[in-house]
Amino acid sequence: MAEASSDTTKPVEPSLRERIADNDIFIDFKRNRLVMFATALLVLILGASLLAPWIAPTDPFDPLSLDIMNSNLPPVWQADGQWPFLLGTDDQGRDMLSAVLYGLRVSIIISALGVFLAAAIGICLGVLAGYFGGFLDAFIMRVADIQLTFPAILIALLIDGLLHGMLPSLSRESSASWVIIISIGLSFWVQYARTIRSSTMVERKKDYVNAARLFGLPPVAIMARHILPNVMGPVLVILTINFGLAIITEATLSYLGVGLPPMQPSLGTLIRIGQEFLFSGEWWIVAFPGIALAALVLTINLLGDWLRDALNPRLR
Amino acid sequence: MSETILSVENLRVEFETRRGTLVALDDISFSIAKGEVLGVVGESGAGKSMTGAAIMHLIPRPGRIAGGRIMLGDQRIDNLDRTGIEAIRGRRIGMIFQDPLTSLNPLMTVGDHLTETIRVHLPLNRRQARARAIELLEEVGIPDPTVRIDSYPHEFSGGQRQRVVIALALCAEPELVIADEPTTALDVSVQAQIIKLIRKLCSTRGTAFMLITHDMGMIAETADRVAVMYAGKVAEIGKVSPVVGAPLHPYAQGLMGAIPSLDNEEPRLRQIPGSMPSLTALPGGCSFHPRCERAMDICRQRTPALLGGIDHKVACHLYEREEVAA
Amino acid sequence: MSDSEFVRVEKLNRVFDVSKPLLNRIIERQPKRFVHAATDVSFSIAKGETFALVGESGSGKSTVAKMVVGLLPATSGTVEIDGVSITGKHDRAQMRALRRRMQMIFQDPYASLNPRWRVANIIAEPMLALGIVKSKAEAQHEASALLKVVGLNPLDGRKYPHEFSGGQRQRIAIARALAAKAEFIVCDEPTSALDVSVQAQILNLMRDLQEQFGLTYLLISHNLAVVRHMSSRIGVMHFGKLVEVEESRALFKNPRQSYTRMLIDAVPDISAATRR
Repeated sequence: MAEASSDTTKPVEPSLRERIADNDIFIDFKRNRLVMFATALLVLILGASLLAPWIAPTDPFDPLSLDIMNSNLPPVWQADGQWPFLLGTDDQGRDMLSAVLYGLRVSIIISALGVFLAAAIGICLGVLAGYFGGFLDAFIMRVADIQLTFPAILIALLIDGLLHGMLPSLSRESSASWVIIISIGLSFWVQYARTIRSSTMVERKKDYVNAARLFGLPPVAIMARHILPNVMGPVLVILTINFGLAIITEATLSYLGVGLPPMQPSLGTLIRIGQEFLFSGEWWIVAFPGIALAALVLTINLLGDWLRDALNPRLR
Repeated sequence: MSETILSVENLRVEFETRRGTLVALDDISFSIAKGEVLGVVGESGAGKSMTGAAIMHLIPRPGRIAGGRIMLGDQRIDNLDRTGIEAIRGRRIGMIFQDPLTSLNPLMTVGDHLTETIRVHLPLNRRQARARAIELLEEVGIPDPTVRIDSYPHEFSGGQRQRVVIALALCAEPELVIADEPTTALDVSVQAQIIKLIRKLCSTRGTAFMLITHDMGMIAETADRVAVMYAGKVAEIGKVSPVVGAPLHPYAQGLMGAIPSLDNEEPRLRQIPGSMPSLTALPGGCSFHPRCERAMDICRQRTPALLGGIDHKVACHLYEREEVAA
Repeated sequence: MSDSEFVRVEKLNRVFDVSKPLLNRIIERQPKRFVHAATDVSFSIAKGETFALVGESGSGKSTVAKMVVGLLPATSGTVEIDGVSITGKHDRAQMRALRRRMQMIFQDPYASLNPRWRVANIIAEPMLALGIVKSKAEAQHEASALLKVVGLNPLDGRKYPHEFSGGQRQRIAIARALAAKAEFIVCDEPTSALDVSVQAQILNLMRDLQEQFGLTYLLISHNLAVVRHMSSRIGVMHFGKLVEVEESRALFKNPRQSYTRMLIDAVPDISAATRR
């Protein structure tokens, strides 16, 4: 009976490079110029912002490095521009390029943590709801419905208020980033939960799950080892798209003043501070953070849209 | 031999992929006469459904007909444009698919389906079309057709739904009906009724059937002639009784021996080792040789041609020699 | 406890509640609605025997199969293996011991193997979960041996399920059932998704393994020819009831129920070709 496997005598594993080169998604990626450009730009932005402490010309939050003599300088290509302040300075003589890089860094880290928190909550609840069904499912999904009626800003305000009500000694500076992360997490989990729940309900009925039940694997192990790897596919897409949304949400919160304080500014904070100077002609203080925010969100969304189409075989 | 309805000559279907050209159908030739049932059997991936799809211009992209001819009566249909083939689909060639539920629109009554199709193809008014629909339903064995005509598809059982689909395929009195696995989704007892119905329709109306199936029993009970397909080629073709009763091709022999039957007492079934090669890895020469017990050197080198008389042809080197000798 | 009643199923019932939601019932003043998927199904299987349940779709044969292995709780009735009831109360260790004795082979070999797992791990999992082996290395070693038993290459263990054909996957599923050291295997339409030439390979393999390991099979199928070929005794199911249980040869020669006769007559037969 060994001949039954005659065509599989030598399992040759292709190398990783071969596997990637042969991958449909990679080939699709190579064909799509716009997505390649977006990815390159995104890598550049992410790299520059995460490496900000090492590549930024100055540390914008070190008061010693600030010189009030350098305040309100326009970008270098304008008549009054001065080196090394490539994108000009603000009213305290802070280098705008450095401020934007640091601001990007704060925005990206906080949004990423928020999105990961949302994914963690959503995936856990989604798998539980989908696997057990019944009352638990109904309960989790109703909570999700109610959740959707609260905007992120309201949740941020609520958490902020609660936190300070309970811990009056807590300073706004130290708690601000956590408030934002938790608000993003609590407002974005629903989408993960819904997606994961419906794919879990499909996987749960498949016979490999029945087989695992037959040799007595407990539900938690079945969910973690069998179902989870099979329902994670769409999560990557939602993560990417949500990341863009989270950055906007963070910027909105900071712009409205619920978010990060001026001493630890994100892009949103920079824009809020900068707009005060708009009418006095110092446009660069608000424009450059704005451009950075738009570029970041746009590239992420382009990549997310493409990923959604590329990973969905039905659209091909 | 009576009037030929459909003849397929040296049909070749290719799929252009970035890993190269795949040959899905290679040198397929057969014909169907008026009132005849041609069974096309083969295992999954043999190309039997692809053959039906090629005739109807329903090959999924990026597949295309790369060679050969398809003749419907005197008309060449393989090179028709979109409007040309649409005039033939449903009108001159009817279609029956595996799952009767998905071939019917759940929001339309059976009567809507039938009258609409009839009026597309025939110059009848609404009342005449309805009368004809009732006749058709009666002919395919739906009891109480005057009442049932206003029912929705979900109100019928699986077997009755398939009868409705058959009636739909017969609406425009086509010369040929292509039925792709028409009984696979049905229970055995219902299968038997559908088989009977197809036979009856062939004899009373003279419709030709191309019956695509993996079920050898179904072929044996229904078909007049049968083509056995393997890896995109016709391995053996001919009248049912010699091909099913005394097959020549080692693959066909293996296939018949592999079927458990009600009066077989053997404890072990005959088995063909391995499985059908995928199109991406077709072996050279005769594509069956890696699984064949009687493979010779020539089988690895040269593709055998389909040779023999009208009643029975086989593509195998074992018989080619006899042919030359005779 | 005699060998002739290795598996004993008694008065198994399953009722499905197909009522509309509570609110709809109150508004529309409708009572609860139930479907009897299985009614008083009783049979027993001797050790080393193949017992088959045949029936058309909706006859309840798969429901019975699921209840026998415990994937679906029975509404009432008992299932005993070697005198031990699987529906009764057991502690963890006893339940483990019971589980180990019975496994299932499923209809769709594309859904019964986790697509994200390597084949060796799929086969090793029951051994680890049931505590049959001490270490992962031992489980991997056993898995290779089992692949060989079912006619695959031991090196295939490194591959993923999608790299195999339907028949090869069914072999992997059989290897997984053997890994649990099962004595009783419920086979739910094991070959109905396969081509005939591959079906023959799998049926032959099932027979070989039965001889080699003394396995007891409960075969669920709609295909009378397969059932006739594989089993020594056959139960015919119709609308959730077991209408006839008979020794295989006698059933085909002399069916007592008209329903059974109708089923047998409906089977399309290859020999029809030579008769015409």
